[in-house]
Amino acid sequence: MILYWIGALLVLLVLFPVVVYLLRGVLEAAQGIVPSVERIAAAATAGSQDLDAVPLLLTTQDQVRQTVETVADYGGSLDMIVDDA
Amino acid sequence: MPAPGIVLIVGVVLIVAAMVYYLVATILALRRIAAGLDDAIAAVGEIVEKSAPVEEVVGDINANLDAAVDALEGLLVKKVGLVDAIGLVDGLYPGAGAAGLRNFPGSGELKPPRIGEVYTRGVLTLARLGREAPIAAASPEGPVLRHAARAASEVRVLYPHDRQIRPEKLPNSPVIGTDSPVQYEEALTPGVRPRPRGPAPTAPGDDDTKARP
Repeated sequence: MILYWIGALLVLLVLFPVVVYLLRGVLEAAQGIVPSVERIAAAATAGSQDLDAVPLLLTTQDQVRQTVETVADYGGSLDMIVDDA
Repeated sequence: MPAPGIVLIVGVVLIVAAMVYYLVATILALRRIAAGLDDAIAAVGEIVEKSAPVEEVVGDINANLDAAVDALEGLLVKKVGLVDAIGLVDGLYPGAGAAGLRNFPGSGELKPPRIGEVYTRGVLTLARLGREAPIAAASPEGPVLRHAARAASEVRVLYPHDRQIRPEKLPNSPVIGTDSPVQYEEALTPGVRPRPRGPAPTAPGDDDTKARP
């Protein structure tokens, strides 16, 4: 009978707190991840919105090409009309 | 039922209840994590998709700009020389001469002349066009950029003219007509020009001919 009492008290006073402690640690760790993941999702969404202007690079590319062609034309003309050093 | 059995059952029930509570809470937290990761993955996918052509476009832009820089640097050095090119760059953008020209290693170590301190940008532009004769000697201390008196003529030599102006005194065009100082008879045969009726111009060898018997 004494052994029954010892076993029951061990379950109630030792095993139950240990289980609660471990489960609570797992829960706190999981809940600690949630804000970080939400911040990551918000940052990724903002980064994606920042890249909405990327298609403008195609316009920049075209304008740079036209500008370089114009500069090349002017350079060729200057090469003809200006004496060398 | 004995009392220890009841205590044991109570303990087991408490353990199971605690497990249910914490595990359900953990499951809910993990679901929120999964939802957040789904959002993050979707946004990252958009970032990857949107930034895919950036490398190609930026590379093309850089290639065009590199070609322009190479051409302009080469043109500048060709026209004004390396030292004056550094001085011109340093005059327009103070301190930029220390960086030198990209395609001319060691150009940053040259001492840039004081171009920017003496002349304005517009005058420098004219100077580089070779029309700066009045201001060429304006530098009180440094050397002149070009010859002050001969700059215009030096530039003029570079370009062809419609009329040949050198030498300055060319033979005059012949005067024709009834009042012309030299009268020619009408040519009877094409290609044969008779002698003029007036006194023939004396040639250097005429005196020797008359002296002969």
